[in-house]
Amino acid sequence: MGLEQTIIDATKDIFVNMIMMGATPGTPYQGKGEALIDSVTGMINLAGSHSGLLAIHLPTQAALEVSGSFLDLEIEELDDDVLDSIGELANMLAGNIKAELDPTGSSIQLSIPTTMHGDQYNIERIAGTSSLCVPFYLDDGDFVIELQLT
Amino acid sequence: MDIAKYLIESTEEVFNTMIFMEVSTEGCMSEGKESIFSHFSAMIGLSGDLMAMISIHCDAYIAMDIAGAMLCTEFDDVDDDVKDAMGEVANMLAGGMKSRLLDDNIDTTLAIPTTVMGKGYSISSPKRGNRVVVPFDLTQGRFFVDMKYSMQ
Repeated sequence: MGLEQTIIDATKDIFVNMIMMGATPGTPYQGKGEALIDSVTGMINLAGSHSGLLAIHLPTQAALEVSGSFLDLEIEELDDDVLDSIGELANMLAGNIKAELDPTGSSIQLSIPTTMHGDQYNIERIAGTSSLCVPFYLDDGDFVIELQLT
Repeated sequence: MDIAKYLIESTEEVFNTMIFMEVSTEGCMSEGKESIFSHFSAMIGLSGDLMAMISIHCDAYIAMDIAGAMLCTEFDDVDDDVKDAMGEVANMLAGGMKSRLLDDNIDTTLAIPTTVMGKGYSISSPKRGNRVVVPFDLTQGRFFVDMKYSMQ
């Protein structure tokens, strides 16, 4: 199974079962460290047989909606709960992808998630890795899952 | 295990022996939930017995100064060489942490470094888990070494 499909399955699983939102995948593309505008990013490192980074990039509005649905709360502004839940989302996604890449569970390890947000920032591609991005569409908004792997 | 002490030792080691810049610190900031406002960050994950994210945060001009000192050149832009050099600084710092943790029988594996830059962004840590932030002063200005961690 290709990496694209692994990302799509992992993301749909979490959105349907944990966040209770439908997420429709778009066409995967190679990321080039595009600027993220008014966004929130949750990210986590993978180390071991596969080394790299898993990130979820959401426009701030989509981050509010996703974390609101996840936490079952009305959320109106970017607060610690939102940042925390987006980090946790990256953690769960990485856990699902790890399960697919590493069925024995022993050869890939995850770091802890970090969340960043801002008006404009770029996450650079790690030298020597490929960056696979899969866009997803929500009813009202979108987000991108990025997997950088050596 | 004294994470703040290990971070200070590892950072001083890297700056003294690899970058040849004088750094000083007055110790870590209160361990808590600081949100750091930054223009350039290099970060790397550690996993294993302890899971962590180690980052260096600074202004773009400090990143250029550090990379310039390390590569014995001058930069007037944050180009790929600066990003690579700062990623390498994060990598060396994580290597120093790995060996100190191993002395405490805590075995970890390094991931690979990532850099982030922007006009302004904040980085925050998960509520669960611990965080140590140590500000360091160079003659040119200040940078922060930030480690978020939780034990397996």
